[in-house]
Amino acid sequence: MQDYEVEFVERGDREARFLVRDITPAFANGIRRAMIADVPTFSVDELRVVENSSVMFDEQIGLRLGLVPLTTPVDEFEVGDTVTLSLDVQGPGREESTETVTAYSGDIVTSDPMVEPADENIPIIDLKPGQRLELEADAVLDRGREHAKHQGGVAVGYRHLQRVEVVGEKGEFEDDEPHILRGVIEEQEAAHASAGSGGEPRNGELVPTEAFDHDLTNRYPGKDLEVVDVPNAFVFHVETDGSLSVDELVTRAVDSLRGRAEELRDAVQL
Amino acid sequence: MELRVIEKEATMVSIEIAGEDHTFMNVLKGALLETEGVTAATYDMNPEQSGGQTDPVLTIKTDEHTDALDALEAGTERVIQKSDDFEAAFEAAA
Repeated sequence: MQDYEVEFVERGDREARFLVRDITPAFANGIRRAMIADVPTFSVDELRVVENSSVMFDEQIGLRLGLVPLTTPVDEFEVGDTVTLSLDVQGPGREESTETVTAYSGDIVTSDPMVEPADENIPIIDLKPGQRLELEADAVLDRGREHAKHQGGVAVGYRHLQRVEVVGEKGEFEDDEPHILRGVIEEQEAAHASAGSGGEPRNGELVPTEAFDHDLTNRYPGKDLEVVDVPNAFVFHVETDGSLSVDELVTRAVDSLRGRAEELRDAVQL
Repeated sequence: MELRVIEKEATMVSIEIAGEDHTFMNVLKGALLETEGVTAATYDMNPEQSGGQTDPVLTIKTDEHTDALDALEAGTERVIQKSDDFEAAFEAAA
């Protein structure tokens, strides 16, 4: 029925940009919102503090631990499930020359290897000699809607794909003001880019604006240009906090929309 | 998801969909407007602070050949279809 066309512009595990053609703004926005607020991830929610002689209150430590992204395997857990983690870090001994020992997210020990800190180098607190932090923490699976710490997607958005057309030469005495543009452009064959800006453009080629320092006059010197938004073509930029990969985040966001549609359909059929 | 029918005629239905927000309602509304036989589809939702009706109320009007509830069902089918198609296209590119 719908003929979506997806093309990756940039592709990484945690960050990607992809173009979707023939998608309605409503559906694109639904996917974006679902990625932010509806895809559940694990996050520390409760602590049992054994010893905290650090300079911070238990609650502050709790907040910091909550913000550590935890890997969340697909389809293994349900919302509300908990996994226990623990942390035990001690300041340096009095004889040691170091002044502080830093507790890092990598020091967190997990009871379930599927749920572990996505990054090992997030500092939690500095401990001075004689200070100690020992605790047990319950990570709970929940949605970004409940608390921002459960957001899987940290920077998720989209822009229209923009088509650049050369309509003529610039007048000889016209001002050469920069023409700043951000996002991804689609080039036309007739267009002629400058030699130093990354090759001859082909028809329909996608170029991120970083390639020419976001300034169209670098890529099309001396040309008179027209830039139009391509209808129903959106370039998504998705960055996750590491609890999920980009692919998982996108597919699970769509799954959550489908799940709700199925629920409503079944409720209406009754 | 709890449904409460507020008004129901042959070519018109007004229904409260508890627990949903703009994320799904706008997708559904968009799909309904593309559905055959639907002449109007909208939803109304108020912010938490309004103290009134905070769950979305979906209103659909259809032409005389279409039952409004059937149209709603067709709309949800359309959202499911869109999701399947998007996922297939995404996985093909991935």
